[in-house]
Amino acid sequence: MNFKKQFKEGLLTKNPVTVQLLGMCSTLAITTSLFNGIGMGLAVTVITICSNVLISALRKVIPSQVRIAAYITIIAGFVTMVDLFLQAYIPALAASLGVFIPLIVVNCMVLGRAEGFASKRGILESAVDGLCQGIGYTVALVVVCVIRELLGNGTFGGGLLGPGGAGIQIIPQPFPAMQIVMPVGGFLVLGFVLAGSDKLMKYLEKKSKKKEAAK
Amino acid sequence: MKTESNVMYIIRLAAILLIITSLVAAALAGVNSITAPVIARLTAEKTQMAIEAVLPGGGEAIDFAPVDLVSKVYKGENGYAIEVTPGGFDNTITMMVGVDFEGKVLGIDIIKHTETAGLGAVADAETPAGQNFRGQFVGTSGSVAVTKDGGAMDSITGATITSRAICDGVNAALACVATLG
Repeated sequence: MNFKKQFKEGLLTKNPVTVQLLGMCSTLAITTSLFNGIGMGLAVTVITICSNVLISALRKVIPSQVRIAAYITIIAGFVTMVDLFLQAYIPALAASLGVFIPLIVVNCMVLGRAEGFASKRGILESAVDGLCQGIGYTVALVVVCVIRELLGNGTFGGGLLGPGGAGIQIIPQPFPAMQIVMPVGGFLVLGFVLAGSDKLMKYLEKKSKKKEAAK
Repeated sequence: MKTESNVMYIIRLAAILLIITSLVAAALAGVNSITAPVIARLTAEKTQMAIEAVLPGGGEAIDFAPVDLVSKVYKGENGYAIEVTPGGFDNTITMMVGVDFEGKVLGIDIIKHTETAGLGAVADAETPAGQNFRGQFVGTSGSVAVTKDGGAMDSITGATITSRAICDGVNAALACVATLG
């Protein structure tokens, strides 16, 4: 098991959002404030870890013909639990994310990790994979959130900081472009974030090759 | 596997799925039994806060047979707090509308909704945009509508359906108070 490699894969080289392009629905829909991004990211991370662990533990019990049905049942179970806990203990987040919490069931990232990783590997390795992929998802979400919130509302830290949780105003009204918070802005910003992460990866690759050549 | 007949094999698959779904259902029931009282208490608190927010001095529930969008009526010394449930963009919105004895809106407060985050959810947000949206209903009477429908209420950007639903709720509350006198 190689924690560093898994972490790097989750964060950058196999990032669920920017490389695997999974979980796009939530990435586009809820990335309008920092609070939403962090909350959604943490919820998905917890669910991915739990479902990865359980599916990995049951990988020899579940027959392959009914595996997808079994995975979806397990994932839906964890999602509903997280939904209930959020409603009971963090109602502000539950109200803010609304219908997108139950919709984590169909977030391909969770099922993707179950099918592509946890169903073939050990429990500990799967837990680490869930954590790393979840962190990668959260970071990607937060980056999109910060950009959209800043350009669209002119604020930073919406839902967490500032008066009444409205965020700290950085760009004064009426300069922010409301369109960026709307769906069209989601697609635009996500496109630039994908391009940016691609550029970053190529740059890092070049750098590590140069290092090797110097040796 | 070869010694097993097809029928037995299918039964085995079904049995394993049944066990998994039963275990998940049991776990959910367990979680629900922990969270249900907490959620119920939070909802009750939120309802109480909503009544006090829209009706200065608060109010007591009065006997009222649910009709149309109106589910509950609370009466206080300054007017009524009407709980209405208009259909929003995603699902039913539960909201409280305060109306004085002259039939003027005292204020609105949203208790529960599942509108889109960042768009319809602004109606319930404690941000300037949300406060402005709810504030414009104060003092209105008769019936209200969004500007797109020829009314005077500015709808939330990108959330006309939600804004219409809130107007529906306010109209239902106003109509209800008119019948109560």
